[in-house]
Amino acid sequence: MLKLDQIDAYYGDLQALWGISLEVREGEFVALVGPNGAGKTTTLKVITGLLKPKAGNMQFGDRRLNTERAHQIVESGISLVPEGGSVFTAMSVLENLEVGAFTGKARSHKDDSLKRVFQIFPRLEERKRQRAGTLSGGERQMLAIGRALMSKPKLLLLDEPSFGLAPILVQNMFEMISEINRQGVTILLVEQNIRVALELATSAYIIENGRIVGHGTGDDLLSFEFVRSAYLA
Amino acid sequence: MSTRRIVLNLLLIGILASLPAVIKKDSIINLALLVLLYVSLASSWNILGGFAGQTNLGHAAFFGLGALLTRFLWLGGWPLIPSLLAGGCVAVLFSLLIGIPAFRLRGVYFAIGTLALAQVLYIVVGNTLSDISSLPSEYLATYQLAPRYYLVLGLAILTTGTAYVLRKSRRGLGIMAVREQEDAAESLGVSALKHKLLALSISAFLAGLTGGAFAFYHVGYYPQLPFAPEFTFDAVMMTYIGGVGTVVGPVIGAVFFVVVREILALKVADMHLIVFGVLFILIVLFLPGGLVDAWSKVRRALARRAGPGKFDASPHQKGD
Amino acid sequence: MLEPLVQNLVFGVLVGALYGLAAVGLSLVFGVTKILNVAHGELLMFGGYASFWAVTLLGIDPFLSIIPAVIFLAVIGFILYKLVFSRLVKLDESVKIQNTLLVGFGLSLILQNIALRLWSADTRGITTFYSGWAVTTFGIRFPIVRVASLVIALVTLLALELFLRRTYTGKALRATVENWEAATLMGIDTQRVYMLAFVMGASLAAIAGTLVSVGYSIDPAMGLNWTLTSLIVMVLGGLGSIIGTFVGGIVLGVTQSATGFFLSQSYREVVGLVLFLLVLVLRPQGLFGAKER
Repeated sequence: MLKLDQIDAYYGDLQALWGISLEVREGEFVALVGPNGAGKTTTLKVITGLLKPKAGNMQFGDRRLNTERAHQIVESGISLVPEGGSVFTAMSVLENLEVGAFTGKARSHKDDSLKRVFQIFPRLEERKRQRAGTLSGGERQMLAIGRALMSKPKLLLLDEPSFGLAPILVQNMFEMISEINRQGVTILLVEQNIRVALELATSAYIIENGRIVGHGTGDDLLSFEFVRSAYLA
Repeated sequence: MSTRRIVLNLLLIGILASLPAVIKKDSIINLALLVLLYVSLASSWNILGGFAGQTNLGHAAFFGLGALLTRFLWLGGWPLIPSLLAGGCVAVLFSLLIGIPAFRLRGVYFAIGTLALAQVLYIVVGNTLSDISSLPSEYLATYQLAPRYYLVLGLAILTTGTAYVLRKSRRGLGIMAVREQEDAAESLGVSALKHKLLALSISAFLAGLTGGAFAFYHVGYYPQLPFAPEFTFDAVMMTYIGGVGTVVGPVIGAVFFVVVREILALKVADMHLIVFGVLFILIVLFLPGGLVDAWSKVRRALARRAGPGKFDASPHQKGD
Repeated sequence: MLEPLVQNLVFGVLVGALYGLAAVGLSLVFGVTKILNVAHGELLMFGGYASFWAVTLLGIDPFLSIIPAVIFLAVIGFILYKLVFSRLVKLDESVKIQNTLLVGFGLSLILQNIALRLWSADTRGITTFYSGWAVTTFGIRFPIVRVASLVIALVTLLALELFLRRTYTGKALRATVENWEAATLMGIDTQRVYMLAFVMGASLAAIAGTLVSVGYSIDPAMGLNWTLTSLIVMVLGGLGSIIGTFVGGIVLGVTQSATGFFLSQSYREVVGLVLFLLVLVLRPQGLFGAKER
């Protein structure tokens, strides 16, 4: 479904990614893990078109993504939940979700998508007329995910959805993400919380200093000595 | 500066200085005077706007204050030089007064705030001193163009020279560091506020002096005139067209401005501002280094054509 | 004794409505694109001239001339955005601010001088058979034209508010105001949104310009004052609130009138600028609106 091949990316003159190659197959739950500043968010930015790669190839299905603009990539079925959620605080929960279904085809299914989101996140339905700025951190994260789902993505990218959430909410959050995966949405999860990410993922990549340094199934990596000592200690 | 540059500069100054002796046509001297006045106006703006990167849209306030006080004192019987200096000082005092609150404003707000402030002065002066300021008869009888020309020439040398010295100095380096990356400079111990205030006061002082020269030069004008926003915008445009942040940019810009205006005045009156406006926008969008930058690009292109041996490794500009 | 004061204040409210309308145009563009278009006043001026010529040459009613004025300015806005401002939106924060200001001033100079060449420096205004009509109650005179202008301004802003709240495009605009990156991730083409905001800003300026030309007067040099006025109101009313900006306009209009009444006419113009400077220094987020990001 999504294939990155030797992607190089720069912020101005500073190189941030070196030869990133990864693959996400349909229906998978893929995790991209690594320490702070490793390039996880940068990778997501490149995939969604917010940052253009200087070298390498990006394929989504039969589309080459390298030169496409961000909103076009969204239209082709990739949706990102950015770090911190980035909900539109001045708009209501309902409005946030409506904006999520902005693209043409998503708009025609708006009502169905709304029902689905409310089914996964009943709390959002309760608060649907509230201003998003008044929601708690966990609720905002839910809203951000719900909003991303409104565009009916084939691939959902999540950037550290557990960040800043209380541990009990974290568990909840990942359950919901798994549920979304079960309902047929392919997931690419970027996380610092490595253990949980690896437990849930069917396949995982480890990124460090802008390079992919490991790849395997979640369980393999969990048991891999190098991972244990470096990250799980 | 290399000896060659020094000689060239001295030669230029010599030519300019001997102008009144050689050319008897007043209109030409007036033109040259105008150019030199604009050189000072633009150069003084460049110190805050170019070196320090603070887009000050209220420059006319300093110009106007200098003109106001100088005219007042000079017509009141004071000798010229003290009047000029007083004008410069009042401009500096004003600048320091508004400097600290002004520099708390970021980006857009600083520029708009300075513009608003200058407008306030413009309107207030226009309302309180609405009568034209004319020279009394004894001053009129002794009016001579040459001393005014030399004053303005001296000022142009002073402002350009100050810009040059500042640019090469440690303080100047600090000022430019603040322009580039204010936070980074702060973390290196460069006090952003102090350096901005320094650039501001120098800019204000020189602009005030220039205003004083303006007051000395004009026979009759409305006291409101030097506060007009046109003076700020002209200075800004000239500086950018010439090359903002360089020493010689404002000079080139001023010459270019007046020359083109004269040429266009012959053919199509009132078009010059439209032409400059377009040129200015083109430069801001596509050639931010101005004519200075364009020139160095041309020189490098020519040098490349001439072959590797002729490559000039130090693309210094005159007075740079 | 009270009558002249109230009359004055009424005039202040009536002109303040136009201040508010003008300011909303500027505020919309700034909110969405983060560009402060300092040529806004010149766009307003062109709107005034467009309506003036539409009335003079086509003989239509001044209030109807809003339509050709809006079309004219929408096209100009489109061209200006495509040619000039679109190149600036992509820039880095600090460079962007500086460059857009400079470019804006360059444009205002160009526009001002084009107007000067085309239409001379004479002050003009649109007069009709009903220009002098007024409704007088309690000894206070309400000029019909200016009251109608206030109504039109209100209706326009209400329509704008509805557009922003109810339509998908409006929501896209609001989303972009808050966070253009997140908006992009929703599939919103932010370039198109910027363009739309700019064209809408120019159109609002056109409406304001028309109302100014029919109720007051226009001349090529009026641009800077209207830009400053719009800025003052924008800051007074706080960014992001249409109603706040409109009220800010009224506040400015009334304050100016009161100052003219109690102090002197010549200080009318100054009071707005002084208020502006005070607000800038003391409360950078304006009196109404949300805090700047």
